[in-house]
Amino acid sequence: MSNLRSSFGAAALLGFAFAGGCLALDLRALPEFFRPDPFGGVVASDGNGAQQLHAIHLKAARAGYVSFHLIVNAEPGQQYQLSIDSPLPADLYREWFHFNQPDKTYYPDALIPTRAPYRSRMPEPDNNIPKQTAQAFWVDIWVPPGAEPRTYRGEAKLDGGSARSAVPVEIEVLSADIPDSDAVTLDSNSYGTSWMLDQYPKMLARLRSGDGGEDKLFGLIHKYHQMFYDHRGTFHQLGYGHAGKVAPEFAPWLSGSGKAKHIASWDWFDRHYGPLLDGSAFKDSRRGTKPIPYMYLPVNPEWPASFLWWGEPGYQAEFTNVLREMERHFREKNWTSTTFEVFFNQKKRYKGFNWDGDEIRFARDNDYLLEYHRMLRAALPAASPVHFSMRADTSWSMERQFDLLKGAVTFWVAGEGTLSWYPDAIVKLKQRGDVVWAYGGTPAVQSASVAITLNPLRSWIGGVEGFVRWQTVDPGPDPWFALAGGGETLVYPGERFGVAGPLASIRLKLQRNCLQDIAMLERASKTESRVRVQEEAVRLYNGTHLVDWRNTRPALLAKPVLEWNNADIGDALTPFEAKFAVIEPDAWLRVRDYALQGGGRAQ
Amino acid sequence: MTKSLALIFLAGAACGAQTSALERQLEDVARVATAMVDGDACQRMVTPRALAYMTKRIPRDQWAAADNYDVDDAAFIAVKKTLIRLSTLADFPLDVNLWLPAPGTPPRVQVAIRNRNELSQFWEWGLLSQEMFPEMRTVLATGARVTVKREPGLISVLSPVRNSLGEIVGVVEAVARLVPDARENVK
Repeated sequence: MSNLRSSFGAAALLGFAFAGGCLALDLRALPEFFRPDPFGGVVASDGNGAQQLHAIHLKAARAGYVSFHLIVNAEPGQQYQLSIDSPLPADLYREWFHFNQPDKTYYPDALIPTRAPYRSRMPEPDNNIPKQTAQAFWVDIWVPPGAEPRTYRGEAKLDGGSARSAVPVEIEVLSADIPDSDAVTLDSNSYGTSWMLDQYPKMLARLRSGDGGEDKLFGLIHKYHQMFYDHRGTFHQLGYGHAGKVAPEFAPWLSGSGKAKHIASWDWFDRHYGPLLDGSAFKDSRRGTKPIPYMYLPVNPEWPASFLWWGEPGYQAEFTNVLREMERHFREKNWTSTTFEVFFNQKKRYKGFNWDGDEIRFARDNDYLLEYHRMLRAALPAASPVHFSMRADTSWSMERQFDLLKGAVTFWVAGEGTLSWYPDAIVKLKQRGDVVWAYGGTPAVQSASVAITLNPLRSWIGGVEGFVRWQTVDPGPDPWFALAGGGETLVYPGERFGVAGPLASIRLKLQRNCLQDIAMLERASKTESRVRVQEEAVRLYNGTHLVDWRNTRPALLAKPVLEWNNADIGDALTPFEAKFAVIEPDAWLRVRDYALQGGGRAQ
Repeated sequence: MTKSLALIFLAGAACGAQTSALERQLEDVARVATAMVDGDACQRMVTPRALAYMTKRIPRDQWAAADNYDVDDAAFIAVKKTLIRLSTLADFPLDVNLWLPAPGTPPRVQVAIRNRNELSQFWEWGLLSQEMFPEMRTVLATGARVTVKREPGLISVLSPVRNSLGEIVGVVEAVARLVPDARENVK
């Protein structure tokens, strides 16, 4: 995206034909949590009473973004030109209005990168909305780390021939810098790469036809990592299926069997992961280069050892040979900043294997994790600088697993709801050196915008270090004209718009801005009273006290896990979840004001 | 015949030859599977508790049967290893799946073991059991091998599994794709 400071020149303005004549034309703005609709209003879930603004004034810490919506209101047929004159780097995106199937309503979400000046007409030709009178744009203003603390004034300008409109933009830059590291790692999860071939049929045509083209795939994978990294998040791609098939880009290629099994080629693996593990994939990011902090390994019951040898010496021989070679390769490459996760995702209901790796419910399945841990220890040098970690995603039986797998599993990803029943467990796990994340879903577009802030805030308050949105790249078969809620995506494929990578969503931007604020709050909590900072944050958020964010053990826990069902769990969680059912649209803006005050003081 | 028509004819003939070679090998694998797969172990595989949940209706919980699905480890592992060995008999990627009758009326069938490539012309993702397929009913009733080409690009050969009493207790599906897809089902 370009810095839009240089706006458009008089010659360009004169050269632009305004066929629409002097139809009414108006430019307005909205705060980021109030999404515009295509008819001049605000989407109902964000508050019908919200007013479009004639001017915008935002406070900002440095080394981060501030954002807002611009809305072009125009009559059908009106041509217009939108530009921004900003002394700070500004990124302009056109907001795509998705027709959302669940409630038959339009919502803006996908953000199409747009060069200013942007010229179009109402209704927006490709969005194809009958009776559209408003086109929305998302503006990200980047405040560099070295920006001088003062008020920066710019202007968004709308020109439609004889009609003109402008929105003054003031950014009050504070002396505080947003910390580079986050208090909560927001992770976007995904599975395999076949969805990329579906979503990018032109870009990956050669690969699809089996005629090479893997570099395009690696490049596209890197674009997804860059997208989430630029939005203060991480990206996970699981490289194997429920019966153990590994896609070729996720693992070194193997040859041989039994004692002779070994790694035959690192070529694809290194081209895929090398730039992610040394950070060079992020060289163009405003956040600077940094290796990815976590990644799934392809290890599963069928890789690297064949399940054919399970329980026999050959299984351990194959497992040990390959893991040992992997450790040596990673060490030689100096890939020591990333945690390599040994994670089992299979479930016996999918009939590939006889034990659940994911969300273990049957106690004896834990024995398999202990056995893999034993083999992993046998494979790896004790003093390796390479970080391998056994990861378990847990829900039903987490309390039992925390004890049983102590010392074996060191990375826990726990269902957010059920984890709330064991608030003291988080502290204990962290004290023994384990990493604790929670997992859950993604608010759909028909939810209030502010809903995207709940999981990050609840994670921070509860003390977990990360939150995984379990599926974030599946927008459904027709995201543009028949979105199925968008609850399994935070990005959209860019190919339709000539973009060789993902498009961010409004929800992803809001999440990023929320994480910036939490990073500020975390810093404040280290220099002031953590309890006081958190108490004030939740009071501003939804009028609660910290004690309201701590759940208690339900009666259900007295029954054996195998007697629970999902309805029981839902019932047991209802009283706790009810506290967060309704959050005011401007709730996070109140928290942000406090973060900017507190963060500034702490610095 | 023009040159291009001749090329199309040759390509079609080559494709047909490839299909019949693949089909022949699948036939062989399926035939050997009937000899090798232990039907008694297959019958011990799915636990009685899991079978009971397949027909139980739990109000407000559509996942109850799946959450309670469980197998006998020893039986599963023994049969799965046999299926994996069978899949090495051909020189192309194939899976040998095991299907067993499932509780329910009208008659139902369940896939009990799938393998690495997750290929099947019958399994619908996530279903614990499905209505009995006519081709499987034929195999279970007659012991005949049946070749199925229902889904374009896939060939399956169904073959019976017998227990020690000589009863047909299951079906193996030896299945391959004409053009393997390295990323299919990695999800």
